[in-house]
Amino acid sequence: MKLLTKTTIYFLAAMVALLGFTGVYLFIRFNEGLNERSDKEMLYEELQWVNYLQSATSVNATFRLHSRDISIYPTDAPAESLASVSDAGQLPNESGIMVPYRQLRQIVGIGQVNYQIDIKKSQEQKLALVRDFTRIILVVFAGLFLATLIFNWAISRRLWRPFRQSLQKIRSTDLQKMQTVHFNETNTTEFNELNATLNLMTGKIYNDFLSMKEFTENAAHEMQTPIAVIQSKLEILLQDNNLREDQMASLIQVTEALTRLSRLNQDLLLLAKIENNQYATTVHISLRDVIRKYLVLFSELIREKHLNVTIELEDDLIVTMHESLADSLISNLLGNAIKHNFDGGSLSLKTTTHSFEISNTSRREAIPKNRLFSRFHMNTASRSSSTGLGLAIVKKIIDSTNLRIRYHALGEVHTFYIEK
Amino acid sequence: MKILIVEDEKSLRESIKKYLDYQGYVCEVADDYASAREKVLSFSYDCVVVDIGLAGGSGFDIVAELKNTVSKSGIIIISAKNALDDKIRGLELGSDDYLTKPFHLSELNARIQAILRRRNFGGDKVIIFNEIKLWPDSRRVTIKEKPVELTEKEYNLLEYLIASKGWLLTKAAIAEHIWGDEYLQAGEYDFIYSHIKNLRKKLLDAGCGDYLKTIYGSGYRFSDV
Repeated sequence: MKLLTKTTIYFLAAMVALLGFTGVYLFIRFNEGLNERSDKEMLYEELQWVNYLQSATSVNATFRLHSRDISIYPTDAPAESLASVSDAGQLPNESGIMVPYRQLRQIVGIGQVNYQIDIKKSQEQKLALVRDFTRIILVVFAGLFLATLIFNWAISRRLWRPFRQSLQKIRSTDLQKMQTVHFNETNTTEFNELNATLNLMTGKIYNDFLSMKEFTENAAHEMQTPIAVIQSKLEILLQDNNLREDQMASLIQVTEALTRLSRLNQDLLLLAKIENNQYATTVHISLRDVIRKYLVLFSELIREKHLNVTIELEDDLIVTMHESLADSLISNLLGNAIKHNFDGGSLSLKTTTHSFEISNTSRREAIPKNRLFSRFHMNTASRSSSTGLGLAIVKKIIDSTNLRIRYHALGEVHTFYIEK
Repeated sequence: MKILIVEDEKSLRESIKKYLDYQGYVCEVADDYASAREKVLSFSYDCVVVDIGLAGGSGFDIVAELKNTVSKSGIIIISAKNALDDKIRGLELGSDDYLTKPFHLSELNARIQAILRRRNFGGDKVIIFNEIKLWPDSRRVTIKEKPVELTEKEYNLLEYLIASKGWLLTKAAIAEHIWGDEYLQAGEYDFIYSHIKNLRKKLLDAGCGDYLKTIYGSGYRFSDV
């Protein structure tokens, strides 16, 4: 949920509560005021009647009056000192429509006679007033409500602009160009703090990236040199004519293991370098040319295994990729397709303007999807001749470009499909 | 033939020297930038093998120094960094070759021989081993003055074997030399056997001595001893 939506919802909830409370309070006060007013009128009317009765009934005669709104008649009940005013419920008015009435009742002693005075007053006018009042309050509140919403929205948009600008900047930044990113000063303290922190952070990330790159290079140097020493010593040892056959065999095995170690080191470094975007490029290269190059390079292996090769390279696939990565991609895929093939098996390569497909026969089981591109996942049969990083490298290369890769196995045929 | 080996790693320097001594070169060594610079300025070498990462300076500067003195030395850079940029930079500065560590000593030797042959304008450009003669420029081979037809790979193999004569070569060393580093991707060297077999048969058919020996099924040696 957007922050603006969230603040608006909270604001609305508060507004509804506040306006509701105010509305109810105002209504009650207004109603009370009106009642008080009409009660006063009734009391005044009563006073008039009492005055009249006192002057008109000085003789010992009794007075009676019965009309719709007023009834005055003698009673035996004792006189009351205070008039009671209350709602009289719904009664018909002149036109016969039921309307609420309010009534005043008091027993007043005039001379020796006690009179019951009932005065009723239609609340019709008051109702109309209350209705008008309510309508006005609602309109005013709605206007207030709407205005607040619009202001809130407009102010938020304006206030959050620097935040959105910073966000946009972070989004469009990649690691390679991080040192050029700068978050500018704004006139909001909080955003200034945020931007200062972001500046500090990007600077640190970029420095870490640089030292990581440096480490990658240095690691290569530091590890390859001792490997080179061991290899050269082994090579000299192998020349000793006094070696027994088993000693010689051990030395050869050590040499082979060392070659794998060196290979492994180079593969891991390659992975690290791709992850560090050190092969970022805008160069377009023809994948078809790379494929042809490796078909020539691997021709002996293909011939050795008597592979039946189908090549459809009429259309070229142009990719944006570093030359070294394209080499690595094709040599890994083609190398695998030959290595895991069987004698007399088949190998097929096909390029279109938007895809590359390589499929080969193999007696190996299909590679489980979840472990397809994971590091060091390999068939036990290939442990001695593989680093287990080939497909991980392939995936990393694909991920560093705008390409996608799929794999499926159907019977003995295993296929890798790369598309734009 | 005089060769200068500039390498700061003592053990590796000793291995290279031992191998090149065995091959009959006169070797001198330097272990840091200052002594290497002094040596290339004071003496003349047929070939300089120089490491990039040196104490006190970069191997690139030694290459630049050599080029400044209009030296005729061949230059081979050996580096632990398998970076394309470095290779290009080395070649632009005027080095003749770039070898990534770890390398086979026999590979270094083959590269040195190739450079020396290219630079040695005065001498004949024929490689001779008893009755075998190789013309690297035209890639021709004769045995007892009679031409022998070899495929490109077989020619490369023969040249490499003769360059490393007397030296045991592992299958991996041969595969890397003939097919390049990339080939390790495939991880199998057994196909080399058929190339060796074909080459030996062609040589024997042409009346050549049986110089190519298989050592315990794990490597090959070309030797007349």
